[in-house]
Amino acid sequence: MKQHWNIRIAQLGVVVVFLLLWQWASVAKLIDPLFIGRPTGIFRYLFRGVFVDGVIIKEALWTIGETLAAFILGSVTGIGFGLLFVVYPLSERFLDPILAGLNALPRVALAPLFLLWFGLGIGSKIALGFSLTFFIVLSNTVAGARSVDPDWLTLSRTLGASRSTIFFKVVLISAVPTIFSGLKLGLIYALLGVIAGEIIASQHGLGQLLTYLAGTFDTNGVFAVLMFLGVLGVGLTKLMDALERYLLKWQ
Amino acid sequence: MASDKTRWIEISGVSHAFSHGVPAIQDISITVGKGEFVSIVGPSGCGKTTVLNLLAGLIDVQGGVVHLASRKPRAGRHDVAYMLARDCLFPWRTAIENAMLGAELRNMSRQKRLSRAKAFLKRVGLEGFENQYPKALSHGMRQRVALARTFSLDSEILLMDEPFGALDAQTKLQLEDLLLNLWNDERRTVVFITHDLAEAVILSDRVIVMSARPGRIMDDIPIPLRRPRSVRELQKDPAYHELYAKVWERLEAGLVRSMVANQGSATPT
Repeated sequence: MKQHWNIRIAQLGVVVVFLLLWQWASVAKLIDPLFIGRPTGIFRYLFRGVFVDGVIIKEALWTIGETLAAFILGSVTGIGFGLLFVVYPLSERFLDPILAGLNALPRVALAPLFLLWFGLGIGSKIALGFSLTFFIVLSNTVAGARSVDPDWLTLSRTLGASRSTIFFKVVLISAVPTIFSGLKLGLIYALLGVIAGEIIASQHGLGQLLTYLAGTFDTNGVFAVLMFLGVLGVGLTKLMDALERYLLKWQ
Repeated sequence: MASDKTRWIEISGVSHAFSHGVPAIQDISITVGKGEFVSIVGPSGCGKTTVLNLLAGLIDVQGGVVHLASRKPRAGRHDVAYMLARDCLFPWRTAIENAMLGAELRNMSRQKRLSRAKAFLKRVGLEGFENQYPKALSHGMRQRVALARTFSLDSEILLMDEPFGALDAQTKLQLEDLLLNLWNDERRTVVFITHDLAEAVILSDRVIVMSARPGRIMDDIPIPLRRPRSVRELQKDPAYHELYAKVWERLEAGLVRSMVANQGSATPT
């Protein structure tokens, strides 16, 4: 326990020293503040954006909403198709080449098309996030359901379980840990897709704010938004970890 | 037929080949009486498990006749319970939920399966561990849960495929004693596969010795040791050691015979 705190204090020390050096380099103009901003300015922007005029929070709500929509749509369809592939292997043989091709495509390259189809609003951002989440959750669902222990199936058969009972009570439950790690990754990728979509063309969201701030040379603002995004990403991961610990307490 | 309790399980003239044509067992005939404990021993790969899987209805009968209680084998029959070498506990279920699994899949009422599972967990010495997940249990404890799961099924016929094969020596002795006790209380018909000759002699009324692949029956040795038995007391009984030597001798004869038989056809390895 003592060691734990020692490590924490050392980490904090390094961060403080780093920020002081940064501030000094900026104030003394060792590096042009236009490129690196300065910590005091960054924290001022962050504080104002979160607590005073709430500009960061306002844009973040758009981003979070789009991310959740992309994540939910992507995971539901990903799990759905994954289970379809497991129950009807023929469907996988039919769809696999198409999906493999789509998955190999750099998804950001689809953004112009999505803008054309779904407009400048939230639709195109959700589509981009979806296109990333879907494939991750799909492949994890298939992998999880295929890796079921064959002895469990033998045992269930000798106990007289029907095919559907075996599917729901054994195959599906045993796949949950693998599906869940797909969901954790899928959420982060949904955020990535949404931010990328906002950067390319948007009226709202943190990605749009980033492009605006960078375009007006507000370096402090850019760093502030990046820090906020970092915290948001960590927060989402922690949330999923907590959910996982609760749902998979048997692991 | 149904009243013929000396032929409760009947295997008659059964041969079986794997899908690639390699014969697994050849012309096997075994009868097991109702309430009898019969072990099948033999070198690894002799087809013991094939015999058990035929009885369990997990593989189809290719030639010959297989009957259990006058009916053909079928996976999921309620009067047959099957136990594997691995405990096969579901990690997402607690000990008691695992012990209830069979009864649950067989639609026993919740009340009844809960009380039965509880009673059997107690009998296998796991009282107080009902709500533990398998990850928190040792190998021996997990196999005890599997025993509780098997016995709480109420099935008259038990098919066991080396259920203690994966345990360390000491745990194995404890579980053998436990199985002796459980079986002694309610004499069910047991077909028990093992490669451990001591285990076969300790537990069984009869030991069937099979030869190396393709498996044939070398001998059918009655074990007239008095019941109730205990592992420790049998160790002191000269009759036990005599029987053990006899089974061992027959098993060795089976190995030699198959080696001689293979010398003509196969290249020596």
